[in-house]
Amino acid sequence: RCRGDALRAFHAALRSHPVNSKNPAMKEQAQGTMLKVLTSFKSSEIEQAVNSLDRNGVDLLMKYIYKGFEKPSENSSAILLQWHEKALAVGGLGSIVRVLTA
Amino acid sequence: MAYHSFLLEPISCHAWNKDRTQIALCPNNHEVHIYRKDGAKWSKVHELKEHNGQVTGIDWAPESNRLVTCGTDRNAYVWTLKGNVWKPTLVILRINRAARCVKWSPKENKFAVGSGSRLISICYFEQENDWWVCKHIKKPIRSTVLSLDWHPNNVLLAAGSCDFKCRIFSAYIKEVEERPSPTPWGSKMPFGELMFESSSSCGWVHSICFSASGARVAWVSHDSTLCLADANKKMAVASLCTETLPLLAVTFITENSLVAAGHDCYPMLFTYEESQGTLTFGGKLDVPKQSSQRGLTARERFQNLDKKASSDTANATLDTLHKNSIRRISVLTGGKANCSQFCTTGMDGGMSIWDVKSLESALKDLKIK
Repeated sequence: RCRGDALRAFHAALRSHPVNSKNPAMKEQAQGTMLKVLTSFKSSEIEQAVNSLDRNGVDLLMKYIYKGFEKPSENSSAILLQWHEKALAVGGLGSIVRVLTA
Repeated sequence: MAYHSFLLEPISCHAWNKDRTQIALCPNNHEVHIYRKDGAKWSKVHELKEHNGQVTGIDWAPESNRLVTCGTDRNAYVWTLKGNVWKPTLVILRINRAARCVKWSPKENKFAVGSGSRLISICYFEQENDWWVCKHIKKPIRSTVLSLDWHPNNVLLAAGSCDFKCRIFSAYIKEVEERPSPTPWGSKMPFGELMFESSSSCGWVHSICFSASGARVAWVSHDSTLCLADANKKMAVASLCTETLPLLAVTFITENSLVAAGHDCYPMLFTYEESQGTLTFGGKLDVPKQSSQRGLTARERFQNLDKKASSDTANATLDTLHKNSIRRISVLTGGKANCSQFCTTGMDGGMSIWDVKSLESALKDLKIK
């Protein structure tokens, strides 16, 4: 598996975000997919992935990160915390506020 | 930048008189205190005690020199200075929840009060009965009205609400004024007409402001966003998701520049680019004191690691002028078209006066358009 695949999967997962969907199954699936993608990244690759996003992308990523925190699995929290650190550096506290007010 | 610490309690709201020699503020209780500038000092000259609940809004009419206050006791009072005493006149707002904000209209013949009753009371003086009466604007407001601002034509009123929307209504009162002429927001303006409604943001609208010309309206919401609607662009809305904590107060300082402040305790500049319809962050408007960067002793370093799991040498104290959230901003000189000084008050009980020229020269990257 090469690095390019993870980045492409990351962007694809963000793009296929079920906006305004009230279907819980769809949301669960999207969350599961995104979690798989996020945990597949190496720590050193995270910063670059975050920097490739625009403001809306960072906000969306932050929402997925917090959703991931809700149901921690074997190793998910550790990698999510690294994603959180990088996303916070770019999105600032405002991106976290928007997770809370969404 | 002049900072004066009035209280240890938060300043709930403030208003200035016309020549900016006196400031009326609520010290987080049921009273309004008026301070007068005496050289470099501020001395308290009046205490207005009439409200039975916290005073949530104060506005000082510059020409007629009347004060209007509103509070959680569901009342509003119009105060007139008789000799050296401020005399209150009760205004029945006909609301059953707390009043949250109050604003005199530009011609000072009306004032609007926003409340938790999910409506706006437009109050005007009825000459025959010698008292203030009010009319309600209700539809389609779904929650508390937190902030109000009048359009320069004395008829249109912008309201920010806890139902996440910014709206512009007509508050035309035929008893006190002529029919208004058409504006970019519309031509038909019967009382209560909804001229504009924003799509939902995701946060309570804390503060709202018309530009000096009235063609633009800007608002800040609790989801850390700043939005601007431009009537000259078919009411297109530009919005900016900020990286900061939510902003609580916003004002125009030129037709294209805004200053906003909130829970981050410092004012910030934003610029509206009309051609592209975008809002951008223009910089932090605070000049922190350069505290001496002394190194940490080994003991302090270990304590940091133990308490905060951080080896950061950063201070735990705020290095902003205000030490707590800024709740209100007011323009002091120059008006909203060409503001040269503005004032902030906050939860730290302090009041700060900011000089735009000084800020421009102190912060080299600042561009006020």
